[in-house]
Amino acid sequence: MSLPLQALCASAGAPVYEIGSRCLPWDHQAALVLEFARSREVDVSELLADCQLQAGSLLSPQQLLALLAALQRALPSPDTPFVLGQLSLPGPTGLASQALAQAGSLYEALQTLVNYAARLSPLLTPRWFQHGDELIVLWTAACGVGAAQRSFVVDMQMSALTGVCQWLGGERLPWRYCFNRTRPRDISQQAVYLGHSLQFDCHVDAMRLPASHLHRPWRQAAAAHPGNFAALSLERGADVGARGRGLLAAIYDHLLPRYREAPGLDEVAEAFGLSSATLKRRLALHGTHYQAELDLVRTHVALYLLLLQGCSNDAVAAELGFHDRNNFRRSFKRWTGLAPSLVG
Amino acid sequence: MQEMKQVSLYVGRLRLPVLPQAPVLGLGHFGQGLAVLMVSLMCLFAWLAAPKAVEHWRWMDIAGEGGMALMAGVWLVQVRSSRPAGRVTSLLCLGLASVLLGQWVDLLDEFWVLPKAVIWDNWLESTLVPLGTLLLTWGLHHWRHEQQSLTAQMLKRERLFREHRSLDGVTQLGDARYLAAQIAIEQRLHQPAALAMLGLDGFDAVARTQGLAESDRLLQAASHLLLLNLRPDDLLCRYAADRFCVLMPGLQAGEAQARAEHLRQALSMLAHHTRAGTPLQLPARSAVAAVDAREAPDAQLLALARRLAEAP
Repeated sequence: MSLPLQALCASAGAPVYEIGSRCLPWDHQAALVLEFARSREVDVSELLADCQLQAGSLLSPQQLLALLAALQRALPSPDTPFVLGQLSLPGPTGLASQALAQAGSLYEALQTLVNYAARLSPLLTPRWFQHGDELIVLWTAACGVGAAQRSFVVDMQMSALTGVCQWLGGERLPWRYCFNRTRPRDISQQAVYLGHSLQFDCHVDAMRLPASHLHRPWRQAAAAHPGNFAALSLERGADVGARGRGLLAAIYDHLLPRYREAPGLDEVAEAFGLSSATLKRRLALHGTHYQAELDLVRTHVALYLLLLQGCSNDAVAAELGFHDRNNFRRSFKRWTGLAPSLVG
Repeated sequence: MQEMKQVSLYVGRLRLPVLPQAPVLGLGHFGQGLAVLMVSLMCLFAWLAAPKAVEHWRWMDIAGEGGMALMAGVWLVQVRSSRPAGRVTSLLCLGLASVLLGQWVDLLDEFWVLPKAVIWDNWLESTLVPLGTLLLTWGLHHWRHEQQSLTAQMLKRERLFREHRSLDGVTQLGDARYLAAQIAIEQRLHQPAALAMLGLDGFDAVARTQGLAESDRLLQAASHLLLLNLRPDDLLCRYAADRFCVLMPGLQAGEAQARAEHLRQALSMLAHHTRAGTPLQLPARSAVAAVDAREAPDAQLLALARRLAEAP
């Protein structure tokens, strides 16, 4: 019944970035948004003025979100997140993008994406693990995304991973998609850009694929790139920021191995070297609070045990440290809006 | 019709849209001219007439006449910002300007009393508004003719109703929602109809290798090509990405199959040249289905898109 913790969490000690930290290089995601706007005939200076940004230097996740919101206002076309996503990976510059572009298999690509998510997917942190003959990519917030933009960012990142695998691997992989939202009226964009296996109301944003695809060598990998030098230099610490974790992702990393004990705010604050008041304030800045983050982790564990391990309610209740089944049922209902027996 | 970009004026943090205005009779400063005329009329009143005491102001009349003048002004701005310059625009604007001036004189009358000997204000009041409505009517008559020729251009892109919010920005075709609404209409008519979906293999690589602008141009070229190969009753929509969908009213599945194969071949033969001169020729695929009278339109479209994706 053990969780694939090693695969799901980054090792401790990764640098933490917050929603206001100016840590994103201008020439990746932001430059792409402007390029996209320009090619769709949106006035770029208008766009920058709308979100009060100036081109150049570093920007924060918050500023990137504001830029995306401004783009959505200027160009409310339903394909925007999907097209942007497709073009965002492997990305134009930087060691992480180079390492991803030279990935020789899906396994290498996923490892690169997950390890250097601060560069490749700074708004939504990907995590992946293998369960039996299936691999599962789980997307969790890096620094928090407002409810209004959550779907946009999830669509964008799912389209990015789908697209980069198809581009590098030379074939479309049979991904299955799970969305943590109700089914929208029109899913034509998801069906064409992502795939036809779409599931809504899932309580997690995840992508699933038969694990047999993991180690298949990709077409371009063979002769062209004898060694992935970008990956090597990243491993040697050439770009420390690439290993960064968003504050919420770092808290998730910290809480997941401790899902049973469910530590309190004070303990977590101490582990992060902060006072509990400071952590509380910072979480509020990220649009959340401590209990919500803890509940999220415990929901994910419960869903993993219920759906993937096929555990009984009693077993899950015991594993999560509930004294009896009814307490667990009540908590689970509060987390997901559903009774545990109805999930699946 | 050339597209006019919306410009904004920033006052501190406040963002005010400034609508670009089409010239009237070739005069770019038509609005300013009109404003000068209105101010001069007011000065004329102030110079010649005696002001009414506030207790004699009739507020209902002021609100009615002032509101009418204001509305005529708003319509004038809207017409000038939404239409290209030309005869129809000039007629509509002259008509609205004339109504505006007539109402303005009417409004000024509420604040000043002109001597009995002065009759030009009555003359202005009683001629400007009828003249304006005549000009407006004449303009609308020409607008109808203009619209008929534009509708001919929109044939095969829209049918039965227009919904500008469902228009795809790249190809100017209706989107999946527009198509679903059209299928629903077809279902209510209980007539046979067929759907064909077409797609380009390897389209997603185009944006990566040639840039997004080129991949958009390829979609535009493909949509033009398909439009040229359609029957007058057919409707072409962009479903998503490189997936185009044709609604063919009155066709049975067998005929539709032949039509779709024709369209697929035409699309496969399209050799689009990028601005750099690289020819792009992508193999096309197609799938056909008869419109089911009972199944929800978006479910039918999804099933068709799935068959297209799984087609060999």
